[in-house]
Formats: sequence, C-alpha cells, structure tokens
Amino acid sequence: MIRVGLGKPLLLAAMLALPVFLDLYKAHVAVLIMLYAIVAIGLSLVMGFGGQVNLAQAAFFGTGAYASAILTATYGWNPWLAAPVAVLAAGAMALVVGLPALRIQSHYLGIVSLGLAVAFASLLTNLTVTGGASGISRVPPLPAPGIDLTDEYNYYYLVLAVLAGATALGLFIAGTTLGRRFRAMRDDSLAAAAVGIEIPQYRLLAFALAGLLGGAAGVLYAHLVRYVSPDTFGLGVMFLLLAIVIIGGRDSIWGVMVSAALLVAARDVLIGLQTYQQLVYGALMVGTVVFAPSGLAGVGAAVRRRLPDRWPSIPLSLVGVGQGKSSPARAPRRSPAAAGGPPAIQVTDVTMRFRGVLALGDVCLEVPAREIHGIIGPNGSGKTTLFNIVSGIYRPNGGSVLLHGRDVTGRPAYTISRAGVARTFQNLRLFRRLTVLENVMVALDRDPAYAHARYLLGPWSVLRGERRYRVQALSLLQELGLDGAAGELPASLPYGLQRRVEIARALATDPTLLLLDEPAAGLTAGELDGLSAIIRRVRDDGVTVLVIEHNMGLVMSVCERITVLAHGRVIAVGSPVEVARDRNVVEAYLGSDLPLEDAM
Amino acid sequence: MTGLLQTVVGGLSMGAVYALVAMGFAIVYRTIGLVNFAHADVVMIGAYVTVTFFLTARLPFALSFLIAIILTGALGLVIERILRPLESRDLDLMLIGTIGFGIVLESVAILVWGSFGTAVPTPIPNVPLHVGGVIVTTYQFLVVGVAAVVMVLLFLFLDRTRLGTAMQAAAMDRLAATAMGVNVGAANALAFAIGSSIAAVAGGLVGPLLYVSPGMGASIGIRGFAAAILGGFGSIPGAIVGGLIFGLIEAFASSHLSAYADLITFVVFAAVMTVRQTGIFGERTGDRA
Repeated sequence: MIRVGLGKPLLLAAMLALPVFLDLYKAHVAVLIMLYAIVAIGLSLVMGFGGQVNLAQAAFFGTGAYASAILTATYGWNPWLAAPVAVLAAGAMALVVGLPALRIQSHYLGIVSLGLAVAFASLLTNLTVTGGASGISRVPPLPAPGIDLTDEYNYYYLVLAVLAGATALGLFIAGTTLGRRFRAMRDDSLAAAAVGIEIPQYRLLAFALAGLLGGAAGVLYAHLVRYVSPDTFGLGVMFLLLAIVIIGGRDSIWGVMVSAALLVAARDVLIGLQTYQQLVYGALMVGTVVFAPSGLAGVGAAVRRRLPDRWPSIPLSLVGVGQGKSSPARAPRRSPAAAGGPPAIQVTDVTMRFRGVLALGDVCLEVPAREIHGIIGPNGSGKTTLFNIVSGIYRPNGGSVLLHGRDVTGRPAYTISRAGVARTFQNLRLFRRLTVLENVMVALDRDPAYAHARYLLGPWSVLRGERRYRVQALSLLQELGLDGAAGELPASLPYGLQRRVEIARALATDPTLLLLDEPAAGLTAGELDGLSAIIRRVRDDGVTVLVIEHNMGLVMSVCERITVLAHGRVIAVGSPVEVARDRNVVEAYLGSDLPLEDAM
Repeated sequence: MTGLLQTVVGGLSMGAVYALVAMGFAIVYRTIGLVNFAHADVVMIGAYVTVTFFLTARLPFALSFLIAIILTGALGLVIERILRPLESRDLDLMLIGTIGFGIVLESVAILVWGSFGTAVPTPIPNVPLHVGGVIVTTYQFLVVGVAAVVMVLLFLFLDRTRLGTAMQAAAMDRLAATAMGVNVGAANALAFAIGSSIAAVAGGLVGPLLYVSPGMGASIGIRGFAAAILGGFGSIPGAIVGGLIFGLIEAFASSHLSAYADLITFVVFAAVMTVRQTGIFGERTGDRA
C-alpha cells in the first residue's frame, strides 16, 4: 500500500535545503551518497525483491559511466544525447548478465554473475576504447543553459531529482503488483509459476530495472567526476553496494537509502583508514545477517510498532480514484464450461520417466467439466507426478494433456495457469514473506507481464487495480473464513489454516480446473467438514476439481468418480462404490481380498 | 606440438591448485548446501601464514605449511560457529554472511601484512627438467604431487573412516543421519574445518607460483569456485576435473589472447553453466512439488 503522508514531503524539503548547510566537499559526498543510493535501489529490486543473486551490479554502474564517457569524450556526442544511450547500454548489459538466470539460480547465479563482473573489469583494463588501466579523463560536464552543472551545488539538485525519481519508482513497484510478483517469485518460483507469473520475463525485468538504475547513476557519476577508471567499478564497489542493500534491509527502499547514507558517509570519515572501513563493512554484514536479517528496515519497523502513529497519512489509492463501484468479489470472471463441451481435462497415454525409472506409464484420464474427481493410490504410485505434468511443472516423456480440448502438453506452468488450471501443493508452498492477503492478491492479478507497461503509461490504473485486488482478496478470504488472518505471514498460522490459504490462492486465479494435492492432510475433523463444503461450493461455481487424497472418508463422500493409480499405471476408474469393490484396487492397497470399505 | 604441451603443463600446475580450492568449496557445499564465499580469502590467509612462518620466522617450509593448515582449520571452525544460526534458516543469507567474512579477512590481512604483496621463493631448488621436449620445473612437480596426495587422503577419509562416512550421511539426508545418531552440527563444523585446511594447502602451494597479496583470494577463489561448479557442485571428483579444466582454459586463453583471458574464461563458464546447470558430474535434483 502506498501512502502519502507528511513524511515524504518533509524529507524532500529537508533534502532541498540541505546544501545550504554543506561545504563544497560535503556537498560532493552528499552527491556520491545519492548516486550509490540509486545504484543500490536497483540492486534491491533485483536481489531483495526479485530474489536474483546478482553480484554484477557494479558492472551495470560502470557500463553507464563508461558508455557516456566514451560517447562524449572520445566521440564528441552531446552528453544529453549520450545519456539515454548509455542508460540503455547498461540495461542491455544487465539483460546479458541476467540470461543465465533463466536457467540457474541462487549460489550458481551468484558465482556466474560475479564471474561476468570480473570479466567486465578485466575488459575495461584491456580495451583501448576504455583507455586501459588509466581510464578516460576529460569527460565533458553536462551542458545546461543558464545553469553551471560543474558547480557541485547545482549538480546536487540534478542528482536529487534523479534519486527522487528512482525512489518513487522503487516505492511504487514495491507497493504494487509488480513488486508483489517479484517477491512471490523470490519466495518460491515454482509456486509463482503455478499462479501464472511468467518467471523468465520477471527475472529479466528485474535485471533490466537494476541495469537501468545502475546505468543512470553511472552517467551522472561520469559527468560529476569527469573521469572514469576501472577500479571505480570493481569488486570493492560491488561489495559496498551489497553491504548497503543487506544492512539496509533487502526489500526496503527506505532502508537501502538510509544505509547508503550511513555507509558512504562512514567511508568518507574513514577515508585515511580504508582498511578499517572495509573491516567495519564486512563485520556489519556478518552481524546483520546473523542478528538482524531484515536489516535497518527491520529495526525501523520494530521501533515504529512501539510508537503511536504520529504522521497523519492518506492511502494513495483513494486520491483521485474515488470510491468507484466495486465489482462483485467472486463473480465468475471466466465463463464456466458449458455442459456437453469437451472434457475439462483429457490426459492421453502420458508417460514419465525419471532417469529411466518409470513414474507414470500410459496414463489416461478424462474428466468432464464440473466433476469432482478423486485420484487415489498407494504412496509412490505417481499421483503427484501426474499433477506436476498437468500443471506444467514437468514435461512428460510422452502422451498429451488437453484442457477443454486445447493441447497444453509440456507448456510452462505459467501458461497452463493462465489457461485456467490452479493447484495446491502437498507440502505447502505459500509465499512465506508475503502476508496471507498478499498471497491471494498476487494470484488475483491475471494480467500478463507486458501489462506492466502501465507503470509508465498509466500509473493510476495500476493503483486502481491494486484497490480492486485488495477488495476481491478480502472478500475471498472472508468467504473461506480467513479474513482474520489477512495481515499475518503464513508461517504464523496453524497448519489447517495454511492449507486453506493455499486453496484461497488457487481459487484467486479464477480456475476452470482446480488440482488439490492431499488437501486433507493434517486437518482436524472439524476442518475436514469445512474442506468438503469448500470443494462442493467450488464445483457449484462451475469449476472442475481433481483431488489427490489418502483420506478415504473424504474421497468417498465428495468425489463423483475416482481414478486409481498403482506403480504409475491406472488400475481402475469408476464411481466410489465401483472402485471400492474393484479386486485390483483392493489388492494394490491391502494385498488381500478384503473389500476396501471394510478396511476403512 | 611442443608449445601446446608446454601450455598444458603450465595449465595443469595451476589447475591442481584450482582443484584444491574447488575441493574446499565442494566439501562444505555437499555437507551444508552452502557456498562459502569466504573460502577464497581463507586461501589467501593460508598463503600468508605459510609465508610468514617460512620467511619471517625462518621455519622449514613443511612446518610452516603444517601450521597454516592447522590455523586455517581453526578459522573455518570460527566462521562456521558464527554463521551457524543461519544454517537451518536461510542459506542465501548465510552466503551473504560468508561474503562479509571474506571482506573482513581481506582487511585483516591488509592490517597485518600490508596491502603490498610478497614474492615467495620456492622451498626447493626450482630446476627445470626436460621431459619429452617439454620443460617442467621441480616445483610444478611438487605442486601436482602434494595436491594429488591431499586428494587421495580426502578420498580415504570420506570413504574409509567412520567419521567420513558419518559426514557423507549428513550430506545425503540431515534428518535420517540425525536419526542414526550422527551429530549433524559436528559434521558441518568438520566440513568447514577440512575445507579451510585444504584452502591452506592451496594457498601455501600457490605462493611461490604467484605473488602473495591480500587481493589474491579474489582471483584464485573465483576460479576455484567456478571450477567446483563446473565439475558439479559438491562432487569431489568433479571439483578436481573442473579445476584442471579451468587451469587449462586459462593457460590457453592467456597464451593466445592474454588481455582477454578473464573475459573468455568467464563467458565460457557462464555459457556452460547456462546450458548444463548441474555441471559435469553434478546430479539433477528435481524440485519436488
């Protein structure tokens, strides 16, 4: 939620007045602080929000600075013409570094990006166009009619304007759907794909944002210092940026800015004692991750909780948007499948092998629309593997999956989610650092990635969407009796409620086919009744439900038909009564000829 | 042909060092699942401690080497102890903690030994030997020999001793290992200690080949690290093969296009990792839904 309070205007006023109190040197330090803050906001977006371990941020900063320096000093371009080109070059550089992120993550991405950053630094020292180890001097100042931008004080205001823009962008992203999708992807990319988030696009987008912000700061740096050299963009700066983001709090724009101010200012106080400064950064980083993982932002939040809310503030979503008529919360947005149409799901001869071990062999499954269909079978019989194939997490070795007659075999999970399939997971996969409300809101947003162009073209419509998602999410939570938990983190809820939050998240995607993977596991008897009611109500809304379950009471009472798997093959299909009497089924479960009903 | 072989020989001796560094990464990774970014600087500390006792205290090289191995082993225990609260919580955060440790170690090295490096004489007379038209120095033989011995010892430890087997068990399945009475916490600490000791072996050996300086960790560490990943993270044979490959790629890149050696090395590395993220010997561990 974005709020306009007194805090931000006051801070801006203070920043505008600040140069009056600074001597020339301190003004220079203030400008540097702001530049590092801009680069660090970029790093915070890609790493803190997007969860991409990017250790090449200093290279993006350097690309912007060098591109601008080369174009203006060597080729004589007008600096204002060179600036956008340089910023785009940094964005392109970030996309190149981000490419491996499509395949590798976490530690692997960290080392690959660090390697590319080392390669970049060595390129700077070896190329002639970059001036080798001595760098490029005589970078021209930014020309401006009537304003002398070689003057440190004037430059301060230019950089302040860019920082204000970067901060506004960062806060806007952080508080709205794009930031939420980034955080969902960071917390659990598999579950994020299953609610329709196009993971590859978002990873690249996070890198691009980091590159553009780094590039912008780089351009400003080049024309401020008017000299660029390789050591300004090496590993030392990378670690400073990393320290700023970690100590500030990885996903807090404000925390990052405060920590940039502290660390860069401290660097200046300790200028003669560079080694101690490094020692302090390193020790602070270790201390932060061990004792205060959410950094200064976490400390700030803890303090704020103890203080009364002193600043009057208004939620921004009300400004100019008005109390428009809210759409009914969960009117089916997708037209429910007509009876007599193609089956909701048709799985034909699906085969899946894991390194030669057969997990599923020629499995067929056909479920008409609006049916509640159970999938049962002993552990290891391939039930979850089937769900993983249907929901696009695995690509089958053979066979086909049709949704309402449309072939989706082997399509990525986010495409399948957008085609109307939602699922829950056997071992809960909620976004752990999103509140329950946010978990649902992230799934409600069905816009494709390119719709984020609205962040530039029509920010108001983003805020309007925000408000709509909030209303819809609250009403969905209320419907499932979760409204009291809206503001909580999932881990703080009892297990049964967490399961229900997963169902709420799945329903929020407005599916035509809902896959429930052992929804009853760990539920109390009371909660079980609630679950049956939810499943029936969902079906009555026009949704086809596929449920994997070991709780036979639930399966027998809720499901209209049941498919039984054993050793990766379908051994029986039919109504609960038929299946319970089937010889193969009884044997698979008990290895004897006891009727299944008696065994219950 | 001789030129080619000569490059290979140069690549192999540095490759052996990278392989040692990679093994240090690998043993920590396979046990805890953590990439220890401080490892590179532990290599540097190991190199400095060896040099200090060898040159300043004038102890025999072998003894200085041994002292360095013991001291860095203890250093590994300290790092593990401080970061231990994160082991079960957030490995990405722990990774950043190890980066912080790396920065601390580097600045401590600058405080203690100064920011300028030290050239180190070889501990044995460095005689060039002609082997089939290729020149191999005695020190290169020593480096490869010691590296091989350490690799064999690590194999024997992991495979033939109770402690080693317990560590393997902890690496495979924490819960099951705990249930079988393995002290997983102790296994983690031991992994850090062993990894750090091997780092000192690498650091001590590389000193005479390069130049010992506080910044050396970055350049050796990142290659050792990349080698470990290339070989398949957590796989000891993978670390060895990855290290040798890195040594060779680098030797070829620097003999032909020295200015772009880093660029070529890391772009090739990034490409390989993007295509085959599990490395050469790595196992694909499916993300279970």
